[in-house]
Amino acid sequence: MAILEVKSLTHTYGGNTPFINDAVREVSFTVQKGEIIGIIGHTGSGKSTLVQHLNGLLKPTDGEILIEDQNIWDKPKEIRKVRSKVGLVFQYPEYQLFEETVYDDIAFGPKNMGLRDEELKNRVLETCKIIGVKDEYLQKSPFDLSGGEKRRVAIAGVMAMNPQIIVFDEPTAGLDPKGRQDVIDIIHDYRKATGATVIIISHSMEDMAQITDKLLVMNKGNLVMFDKTENVFKNGDKLREIGLNVPIVTRVFDELRQSGIDVPCDVFTVERAVEVLKQIKAGDRNA
Amino acid sequence: MLKDITFGQYVETRSPIHRADPRVKMVLLILAVVFIFIAENWFGHALSALFVITTVLVSKVPIKMYLKNLKAILPIIILTSVINMFYGDAISGVLVEFWGISITYDGIYRALFMSLRIVLLIVVSSSLTYTTTPNDLTDAIERLLTPLKFIGLKSAVHTLALMMTIALRFIPTLVEEAEKIMNAQKARGADLENGSLKERIKALIPILIPLLISSVRRAYELAEAMECRCYNGGEGKTRMKQLRMGWVDVYVILITLFYCAGVILFNIFL
Repeated sequence: MAILEVKSLTHTYGGNTPFINDAVREVSFTVQKGEIIGIIGHTGSGKSTLVQHLNGLLKPTDGEILIEDQNIWDKPKEIRKVRSKVGLVFQYPEYQLFEETVYDDIAFGPKNMGLRDEELKNRVLETCKIIGVKDEYLQKSPFDLSGGEKRRVAIAGVMAMNPQIIVFDEPTAGLDPKGRQDVIDIIHDYRKATGATVIIISHSMEDMAQITDKLLVMNKGNLVMFDKTENVFKNGDKLREIGLNVPIVTRVFDELRQSGIDVPCDVFTVERAVEVLKQIKAGDRNA
Repeated sequence: MLKDITFGQYVETRSPIHRADPRVKMVLLILAVVFIFIAENWFGHALSALFVITTVLVSKVPIKMYLKNLKAILPIIILTSVINMFYGDAISGVLVEFWGISITYDGIYRALFMSLRIVLLIVVSSSLTYTTTPNDLTDAIERLLTPLKFIGLKSAVHTLALMMTIALRFIPTLVEEAEKIMNAQKARGADLENGSLKERIKALIPILIPLLISSVRRAYELAEAMECRCYNGGEGKTRMKQLRMGWVDVYVILITLFYCAGVILFNIFL
């Protein structure tokens, strides 16, 4: 079932000024329930503008956005309801923490949705359990946590609203390798527990290869490709044309193939690479 | 909505006033403001109005921009004129009287004069910010405060000017930051548009606290970056842009002095 449908969305900044600028131009795509979609593209290609339309923070200049076949701008007064259906985690979400305790901060979103008392408490604790916010942190000040933990709490704040679609804008930016993996795991765990649809913006092709089902490629406000992740990464030349690239493992395997070694062209993650190499090794031994 | 803030908005139109030395403009502005308030009869006010209108026209800045600033202080203008209305001299004749309060002809005059003065004051001050970049302004302030060095406030002059430069420089950055945080909290269901006054004030907390924290962090970062580049106060610092006076300044000074002389003459002889 299509949970999200974007129909020829256009957004123009600076309406009546000389600085008029199409940030997003005629973008259309459909997302099925439970999919993990990645959005890649250069800085300034319109990725962030695009996702801010999905929960109604920006209003399209033209085109429409349907969530469960319902245009989100049909009732402009109820746009806040859309925000509990579509959670949006901004870049560096730890900068939005403000409450005295981690618990209160995570409870901010659900409270705004009207949850109270037991229901609120259960929701917060449930979310913490899914994504591994430790109990002893709950009464601490969010400002006493480490960078990675702050991000985990900030992400929990959005997840606690139990959105059907959750959008992450560069969730791993500025984290160390362990922190990055933690965030990827959080997203995985959350999806497994709730079946939510996930949309991720990232510059890391490695993260994308690891987690997404489909990739949406943006360039200068236009949608260039929207296809299964492996199909997009098989199109390395097209990606390089717009200044993007395929994961490093894929590049290594491309060069192996060019130097005459027979390896498959669908290697996008390190795990898969190890598997393929083992097979080749076993094959050599048998021969 | 935050983008509507017009504070310190510079409008490039390459008029003669743009070319004038910011120090000259600043001193003349102070002079003009004083004389707008010194003028005490119709002729004096007419001359003030003429001077301000000339400034506006020469500056080539769209009149709309000036009106925008006036609109913002309209409540203040109305309030002052209403208050002034009741403080007239009864000898001039009473217009209406109710509940023991009287509105006199003199009061009406005072109200008119006072609102005219405020309007002129705002327009002439905006002409300075519209025609001078914030950096030029702070340069000018630093130069004009130089005399303070002789009364033992040597480092204060430079520090003050630097503080102003930094504050001006970071206004757009803070606006951008505030917008980001607002969007993030809206995405978490914060309601900034509806509710009673008390609720709306409370709704600002999730925005102000992160904004404050990031400002402090930014300040530390800036201080460190400055130290890394060997910043050690203003001692012996040279400037890329030297302020020089030219013919434009002579004209501007002459026109303003002519206006001031006119006001004095009208005050004495009429």
